[in-house]
Amino acid sequence: MTLAMPAPVPTLQAKDFRSDLKPIWCPGCGDFGVVQAVYRALAAVGRPPHEIAFISGIGCSSRIPGYTTAYGFNSVHGRALPIAQGIKIAHPELLVLVAGGDGDGFSIGGGHVAHAVRRNIDLTYIVMDNQIYGLTKGQLSPTSPRGLKTVTSMYGSLEEPLNPLMYVLSYGAPFVAQGTPADLPGLTAMLEEAIRYPGFSFVNIQSPCVTYGEESGQIKAQKEKMKALADMKHDPTDRIKALSLAQDYGRELYTGVFFRDPNPPPTYDALVKARQAELSANALPRQNILDLFLQK
Amino acid sequence: MTTDLVIGMAGSGGDGIVSAGESLIAAVATEGYHAMMTKSFGSQIRGGESSCRVRLSTEPVLNPGGTLDVAIALNWEDFLKFGGELPVGGNTIVIYESKTGVAPDKLPLPGVTPAEVFPVPIADMAKESAKTDKAKNTVILGLIAGWFGIGGDGVMKGLRKKLAKKGPELLEANERALAAGRKYAQDHPLKTPRVMERPKTVSPKLLTDGNDMCGAAAIFSGCQFFGGYPITPSTEIMQFLSREIWKYGGSVLQAEDEIAGIGAAVGASFAGKKAMTATSGPGMSLKTEMLGLATIAELPLVLVNVQRGGPSTGLPTKTEQADLYQAAFSAHGDVLRPVLAPTCVADTFEITVEAFNMAEMYQTPVVILSDQEISQRKETCDPIDTSKFRLVDRLRPANSELGTHYARYRFTESGISPISEPGMPGGNYLAAGIEHNEKGAPISGGIMHAKMNEKRFRKLNPIRTRRDLFQTYGDPNAPLALIAWGSVAGVAREALRVAERKGVKVKLLVPRLLYPIAEEFFNDFLSGVQAGLVVEQSHQGQLYHIMKMVLDLPKGLKSYARSGANPFQPAEIVRRLREQAQAMHQSGDSMPQEE
Amino acid sequence: MATRGIDFARLSLKDALDLAIFIEEEAKERYEDFASQMETHHTPDSARFYKFMAGNEEKHRAELAERRGKLFPKDPVTVSRQMLFDVEAPDTDEARTFMTPRQALTVALRCEEKAWAFFDGALKVIKDAGVKELFTELRQEEVEHQDLVKAELAKLPADDRFKTEDFEDEPVSHD
Ligand SMILES: Cc1ncc(C[n+]2csc(CCOP(=O)(O)OP(=O)(O)O)c2C)c(N)n1
Ligand code: SF4
Repeated sequence: MTLAMPAPVPTLQAKDFRSDLKPIWCPGCGDFGVVQAVYRALAAVGRPPHEIAFISGIGCSSRIPGYTTAYGFNSVHGRALPIAQGIKIAHPELLVLVAGGDGDGFSIGGGHVAHAVRRNIDLTYIVMDNQIYGLTKGQLSPTSPRGLKTVTSMYGSLEEPLNPLMYVLSYGAPFVAQGTPADLPGLTAMLEEAIRYPGFSFVNIQSPCVTYGEESGQIKAQKEKMKALADMKHDPTDRIKALSLAQDYGRELYTGVFFRDPNPPPTYDALVKARQAELSANALPRQNILDLFLQK
Repeated sequence: MTTDLVIGMAGSGGDGIVSAGESLIAAVATEGYHAMMTKSFGSQIRGGESSCRVRLSTEPVLNPGGTLDVAIALNWEDFLKFGGELPVGGNTIVIYESKTGVAPDKLPLPGVTPAEVFPVPIADMAKESAKTDKAKNTVILGLIAGWFGIGGDGVMKGLRKKLAKKGPELLEANERALAAGRKYAQDHPLKTPRVMERPKTVSPKLLTDGNDMCGAAAIFSGCQFFGGYPITPSTEIMQFLSREIWKYGGSVLQAEDEIAGIGAAVGASFAGKKAMTATSGPGMSLKTEMLGLATIAELPLVLVNVQRGGPSTGLPTKTEQADLYQAAFSAHGDVLRPVLAPTCVADTFEITVEAFNMAEMYQTPVVILSDQEISQRKETCDPIDTSKFRLVDRLRPANSELGTHYARYRFTESGISPISEPGMPGGNYLAAGIEHNEKGAPISGGIMHAKMNEKRFRKLNPIRTRRDLFQTYGDPNAPLALIAWGSVAGVAREALRVAERKGVKVKLLVPRLLYPIAEEFFNDFLSGVQAGLVVEQSHQGQLYHIMKMVLDLPKGLKSYARSGANPFQPAEIVRRLREQAQAMHQSGDSMPQEE
Repeated sequence: MATRGIDFARLSLKDALDLAIFIEEEAKERYEDFASQMETHHTPDSARFYKFMAGNEEKHRAELAERRGKLFPKDPVTVSRQMLFDVEAPDTDEARTFMTPRQALTVALRCEEKAWAFFDGALKVIKDAGVKELFTELRQEEVEHQDLVKAELAKLPADDRFKTEDFEDEPVSHD
């Protein structure tokens, strides 16, 4: 991607999205990079903070809405998506962002992901995937590799990790990407694209935990092994190819857009609006609603 | 000589204040003292401010204590952040890092003149002795050893064990830091010496916290399965079991959420094994559905709910007693679910064993309602004689009962029906959440539903007569009464001591069975009581209101309740109790005079 | 990959100056963030150093801004900071709880080296004589900054041989 020079100067700046709250994150946490990319992506998109609803669950990563000037909702563990869907359906003009950890999204909240995807609600779901539970002090996460020793898997985990990319792709998400704070320009561009995409968009961010994470997941290690899908000449309109690449989650670190449906399917929120418009034509006046029960 | 000492220290997580506290309590436990340690932290994960209180005594320690005897501040800003958790008074010896630049007569403690103040160059001493200022915490342990005669060699013994794998350099550095602290104390004696009196007898002690004790008790009780999901402050139960339970043929499943965690435990129980789950407020909310299932399917299950401040995420790291309503009543339909509350770390063993026994005996879920303080504080306790516990197994059908005529929910006199399990020939049945008849077949009629409800309630009747689940203290004929449960019970017991010393006649009831209310026993205790307080750490005073719902309370019995994270002090309970008595007296009710 | 989309061959002096200003601004803000992180995580000595670095970057920014103001007083800014992250600013993951001043200085040194490499790389493609001159000057400044940081490093006593982990409290669970 090359921005033509001279580049357009956004009217909103990254700093307009930054709040005064001081992050409690451990210095070095990958989430610091993520929030920087979010500020810039939002500035690029150009919607003012008051038109943005930023929803999260519980976890270190879920603190992120508080560090922005958007309307934030730091809800309960695993339930960011249901709340966000309610917000978007009730007020479709809002830009709705959802964020959380791998545990929040794929363990306790895992059941909700498939449904948000199949409804194709126009929102952007960002998962800061660190393969561990940060806020509760380093327990196993659904994306932890098999064999990982943690305080709840003293002798090594007995489970295969869940693959967030395959999960979301296979339920038919129209936009799926993976980024990392090891490449902030790439992450910013990807987030901007995801936010602009008209439909459910998912960005898995490999955001390392410096306190409980594995050495191999840290930014330095990521810089060594990450491969840009664009450089691999991946065609992001090919869902099957995207699925096949996504299988390497956990072994390879591909960054960029895995899949972007070139013909965005209709979103649930748009369909709701259309149905409301269609049916309101022959509605009884509100004050006459009881006429429905009138025996004639 | 001093017989009881409360030490409070604060610094940054990097100073290792809490790890110093851990070393100290471990050392004094080997010296034969009774001790208790609580910790408190800022909101950072690593590198925040941290503090701990260690209370030790030649007598059993009932609670973390009030005003500090010794206050140690590595940094005043950090120390003051803990406010009421580390109160300094006129009897306190204040020790602080002289580098903070605060003059001894300008301490940031408005309105307080401590007994003695020592600015100590702790960091410099560490640097000089250990060649690293990181050893500040060990210098502090040396100061404590020197001034109060505790820890010292025991601390070194502990460090030798802890650092065995790290090589001699680190150990020697610590050794020198400890010696430097001791020497400083010797060179700067206290005006009024406060050396701790040695315990009369030195018997071996256990040292652990409520969560590990609960895990150990579960294994002792024969628990074979734990399903759960991490949540503060209960996670350590799962962590303990995930280290130990495999050795006893059991297993731990870290499930995808609390519903799955308790679901798997319900499954394990159906399969015939003793099973447990543990959680805290937000997780408890999710488990409600499965609790209902276990109630109607009559499956034994132990659920530990370690209370933290709520509602919702609330105060995850602080203690509160506001989940009693939830433990007792979170259900749809007619449900009677026993709720047990431990009062201290040692008691957590007994209550956990009791919970497994009750669950097995009556084929019901049982809630252990612990709290953050008990679950995470460390305590010494005398060795527990496990041979005195009788373990109960669920009543299984005799061979003659098995076969096509087997009725899983047979109406019996006690209401308890022999329960089979998959793998048992002739015991096949359908367990379900839907109402059923004696054979387990789904029904929809009112008559059978009423009979089954009656059976499920009747089988639990005997627990209301379990006097051993209630502890009473003080003069049984006293007209003044205190009632307290959970971690507050320890404060109330000390309040009783204080009152008795002042010549006030008071008695105390500590219910460990919180629900159902054992009416007869409460009434016995309350007869003759004219004034009193139900002391609870919640805004509403939930036990008081449940009592009010079920019992006819004496007019002078009131709720003394306040939100979590605001610990009660014994003296204020006594003050409040006397005010309450006074008020009753003035309102014309006859009231015997005290003192 | 600290930047995206800068076509150095076509860079004008005005845009080059604005870019340089942004680079300093970015570095200043990152150092401020680090200082604040160190403060909230009880690492005061390194906080002080990062504040000092932020001050330096701000000084450079102000100098460049003044020059820009004199040369192009009325012309609007047409480049953006959007895609510029860590030309001179440390990567967002470089801070650590309890890092020693020596470790903090090492981070800064790496940044000055990184910035040198950036200008050096750009100079290979730059055509405009004025831009070339500016970037050569900026590249030279980075050498001076490196020397400055190295001198500071030399003054610092060696870190002691002990690890904080062997003394500090365990991390705390918050939910
Ligand atoms: C219902 C419920 N269960 C458990 C918790 C405790 N809890 C808070 S965050 C968390 C997991 C954190 O991991 P993740 O979602 O991956 O986020 P991270 O902290 O790693 O960013 C857990 C188990 C809770 N708050 N609510
Ligand atoms: S514990 Fe891990 S995920 Fe949480 S703030 Fe610290 S580094 Fe980040």
